[in-house]
Amino acid sequence: MFTILLTIASHTFREAIRKKILHVLIGLGILIMAVVSIVPTADGPDARIKIMLVVFFQVVVVLCMVGIILLSATSLPHEIEDRTIYGILSKPISRLKVIAGKILGFTLVSAFVLVILSFLNIVAVLRITTQLPGKCQDILKARNECKVSEFSIQGKAHHISEGIVWIEGGRTGIAVWNFSDVYKKPGSKFSLEAEFHVKIESSGDFINTIPLAVRIENAVSGQGKTEVLSGKADEPFNVKIDPDIVQDNSAITITVFPVHRTDYIGVTPGDVRVFSVQKGFVSNYTKAVFITFLKFFLIVVIAVMGSTYLSAPVNILSSLIVFLCGHVLDFIKDFSFLIQNHDLHGHSSQAVSREPNIFLIYLDSAMEKVLEWFSVILPDFKRYDSLQFLLKGINIPLETVEISLGYTALYAGICLIISSILFKKREFF
Amino acid sequence: MDNLAVRTEGLTKIYRDFWRRKSTLALTNLNLSIERGEIFGLLGPNGSGKTTTVKLLLGLLFPTSGKSWLLGYPSSDLKIKSKIGFLPEESYLYKFLNAEEILDFYGKLFGIPRKERRGRIDKLIYDVGLWPHRKRPLSQYSKGMLRRIGLAQSMINNPELILLDEPTSGLDPIGSYEIKNLILEFKKQGKTVVLSSHLLADVQNICNRIAILSKGILQVTGSVQELLSQKDVIQFLVRNLSLNDIQAVENLIKNKNGSVLSIGHPSSTLEELFVKTIQNQS
Repeated sequence: MFTILLTIASHTFREAIRKKILHVLIGLGILIMAVVSIVPTADGPDARIKIMLVVFFQVVVVLCMVGIILLSATSLPHEIEDRTIYGILSKPISRLKVIAGKILGFTLVSAFVLVILSFLNIVAVLRITTQLPGKCQDILKARNECKVSEFSIQGKAHHISEGIVWIEGGRTGIAVWNFSDVYKKPGSKFSLEAEFHVKIESSGDFINTIPLAVRIENAVSGQGKTEVLSGKADEPFNVKIDPDIVQDNSAITITVFPVHRTDYIGVTPGDVRVFSVQKGFVSNYTKAVFITFLKFFLIVVIAVMGSTYLSAPVNILSSLIVFLCGHVLDFIKDFSFLIQNHDLHGHSSQAVSREPNIFLIYLDSAMEKVLEWFSVILPDFKRYDSLQFLLKGINIPLETVEISLGYTALYAGICLIISSILFKKREFF
Repeated sequence: MDNLAVRTEGLTKIYRDFWRRKSTLALTNLNLSIERGEIFGLLGPNGSGKTTTVKLLLGLLFPTSGKSWLLGYPSSDLKIKSKIGFLPEESYLYKFLNAEEILDFYGKLFGIPRKERRGRIDKLIYDVGLWPHRKRPLSQYSKGMLRRIGLAQSMINNPELILLDEPTSGLDPIGSYEIKNLILEFKKQGKTVVLSSHLLADVQNICNRIAILSKGILQVTGSVQELLSQKDVIQFLVRNLSLNDIQAVENLIKNKNGSVLSIGHPSSTLEELFVKTIQNQS
């Protein structure tokens, strides 16, 4: 069975090479990456790296994906149109194997393109990083977040607004975060850092920076260090955690309060995050590329599924629409929600109550159902967005990879079943 | 049933339009039995249902009603396709491959082991006269060359039953003559050949039995000899008779109350003359 799949897959792959489609995709990708790596930028030294990553994942990958959609959406319809499909279907091969072979072939094409381009991208990123000052090389971190186990306010809060607890300076209140699962293996290459996102305000003249007292201590022994740091409005800041503070019990407490009585900080449980930091950019990047590859695989499956029933131009169009809608699923869901809450927003409530239009009510209801179904049926491509992890220097959790893999397998499985049913019923005149 | 290479019972195909309304009756109640080892000709004008019959046998189309069997198995059985070779009415081949690659691809689909596949590919390319062109992409082939490689692909699995749809279309007389010789060679090897064609001369020369279809209905079936022979007419072919002897024979026939319809020299076919001329030249 696998030999047949490989035969059809390698044939599909060879077709992509002979027809120079791979050359074009890879050439275009290299050209875009080359331009981005030499165009001067006015931002900070690490901005180029961020741009290179963004351009790779959001321009080069999307371009390649459109190329792969065009390929996989037209292959089977062209074979049916040229009647070369007769040569395959007159052999002892089930139609399911033909579809599976095609999917495997285009998956190989996607993998090939992705491996080459991502390799060139990471080589370029690493090369440029070596030319940056040491501090700017932090972008290549891969941090694991330690979840906050408890958040509390000691003393009194000044006021609470929209879920944010505001604390007045001068020790009237202290924000406390406890982290119980922080683990620092002695002698390992890991280090720990805390990232603060607290909101600041001052009752004096407008001041952009206020002094904050930050204490990081071992939750059990109380051993720790207090520092006074400058908290800036709308700008998170990081504090390295002394490895000696974190001992085998792995629990730390972080307390923050404004030094001056005229200053305020606004805090929520997620405003202080603790990360274990490692130099794992390459493995993190590999995970991001793998998740992107899953996205390629899914769009190939969808395009091949369409090609079992639709003509080439219609299938290209429908695959591109699915691809686009899959990226704006949140918007579709929101739109559905807006329709559901149409009457609540006063937008037309008075008009409706005065003069209820039964047609509009039914239309609303029908639209709502349609959009709801769309959001259920369409693939959620936002799930495969791994770029944010790289830009924030956060290690992509293994669960994220596993969930993406599971979602892809489930969605692809359903598509394969539908493809098989459609293709089995198809006649070739 | 096992002695039959092909059997159909009430095979009917109605083409329907998008709204599932009946649009064309392509084949009506076809009952056909083709013995193993014979060369069977499916004749008929364009649109008579020949290609539809072949496609129904191969599972490319589904019958509206009726059943069909190939080599004793239902034609829908996938396994039976490993014993069948098929040449479509035109050479629908992947033009980006060369002769070796296309045969290798189809050979792999049949699951033929690498070494055996290699041997068969070389032999088939040689047999169909494409050895010097085996590395050229098919996009550079003439129509006749494509027909030859198409025939080779239909033979890659060494099939027991070969379905050939218009095998000589697009071929020059030499190519056509060689293909007919190849088909006769298949017969010697004990293979069954079903030949769909509207070129009557092709069929007459090589087929044992024929069926004539018209508007999707089987009009006549039987052995070529039987169908074409004129029972009330006798033909002698003799050599070395003088004019006087001819006159004597004619008189004898008249004395026996027979009537002489024609006396003359038999002529060979134009194809034979063409082939002879070209072969002498080369």
